[in-house]
Amino acid sequence: MEYLKILFNILVFPGCLFVGAMGLLLSGIDRKVLARMQKRVGPPIIQPLYDFLKLLGKETIVPKAANRKVFLGAPVVGFAALVVTAALIPVLGYRAFEGSADLIVLLYLLTIPAVALIIGGSSSGNPYAGIGISREMVTMMSYELPLICIFLAVAKKVGGSTLCFSLSQIAAYQQANGSLIGCVSLIPAAAAMLLVIPAEVGTQPFDVAEAETEILEGPLIEYSGAPLAVFKLNTSMKMYIMTALFSALFLGGLATGVTALDVLIQVLLCIALTLICMTTIHAVTARLKIEHLFKFYWTVVAGLAALSLVLVWLGF
Amino acid sequence: MIKKAIANSMQKSPWLYHVNTGSCNGCDIELVACLTPRYDVERFGFKLAGSPRHADIVVVSGPITSQSKERLLRTLEQVPEPYCIVTLGSCPQSGNVFKGSYSVEAPIDKFCHVDVAIAGCTVKPEAVIAGLYKATEILKKKREAMNK
Repeated sequence: MEYLKILFNILVFPGCLFVGAMGLLLSGIDRKVLARMQKRVGPPIIQPLYDFLKLLGKETIVPKAANRKVFLGAPVVGFAALVVTAALIPVLGYRAFEGSADLIVLLYLLTIPAVALIIGGSSSGNPYAGIGISREMVTMMSYELPLICIFLAVAKKVGGSTLCFSLSQIAAYQQANGSLIGCVSLIPAAAAMLLVIPAEVGTQPFDVAEAETEILEGPLIEYSGAPLAVFKLNTSMKMYIMTALFSALFLGGLATGVTALDVLIQVLLCIALTLICMTTIHAVTARLKIEHLFKFYWTVVAGLAALSLVLVWLGF
Repeated sequence: MIKKAIANSMQKSPWLYHVNTGSCNGCDIELVACLTPRYDVERFGFKLAGSPRHADIVVVSGPITSQSKERLLRTLEQVPEPYCIVTLGSCPQSGNVFKGSYSVEAPIDKFCHVDVAIAGCTVKPEAVIAGLYKATEILKKKREAMNK
């Protein structure tokens, strides 16, 4: 029974099936709303599902210069890491797995999809992929620092004298004392997190690694068929995971205790966050250069996160 | 059932790859016009892909100069099955005003198959949309033929 529950958690509810469906839904809504913002009709909301199924039906070509095992294994590794991440993140009140240092594990797990993209791209042997992976690495370094500061600020606020890295305790704290976004000291951290989400997912102003108009989707250039489908699904799943992580860290006070209602609220929150921090920014900005992205994250965003950290440490 | 869903999706999400084989840029601009808010082909799921590996429909424009012929064939070899070839404008079909030139290999059907030919000099965006939509129907049939 215990094992069945774990299997269910990984394969169906907060894991694989749920996060896949949510990812496809969020990216469908993102594309539709973006089109409406540009006065277009836009694709149907289930368009990402069509794209996914179509790519499954295409021939998979492995380039001669590529390392076959690494080339085909990389997307699967990224997918597996994302499924585990999704199972770790609480759906408002509902929590599948307990742990005492979730945030640290999450920090490592969140880098795996990006590393999988880097490994897959570098094994394809394409020069455009080479440019793409170097950019992906710089992007990763730029958003990692603010993300660590945000996690530390939240951990300090919840833990008090000791740091608290457990997501269950963060959720419990918020249910008792209201959402963390209500604390003055954590508002800069929440703003920084909203700016980290698009870089982590890789949407418009921060999609330098996959810039399709200049380096032809970078690391993905040689991928076709099913591996490409998995990589596209990974990007969609990241949309759900990052927005869910935001609501777990800052909006946990909205939990009602009824699982079905919590899931519904979570879905609505994720849609709202996607529209705020991905679609709107995408619609009004053009792609940054890689050095500008790096500078922006290590000054503005890291500054916001560090400000929050200092305020929390001073006891506000 | 999954195979049927995949065949249906094949029609709903065709990604375009555009090859310019010495075109005057007229047809290329009209193809891009289809992606603008006025015509918005994304409502049918069309998307411009950067790499031939992602392509479902290869759009060829221009009279195929001797220099670009080899590149065109090499590009087509890189596209994963099933895919369609759509020619844009009169140039790839007949050579148009360049016909008879020593550097033009005009009728494209001499070296590859053509699924849909869109006529015009330049093509109208409405004609491009109609042609591309027809190509998606052919794509679906090709995928269904692969199932058998």
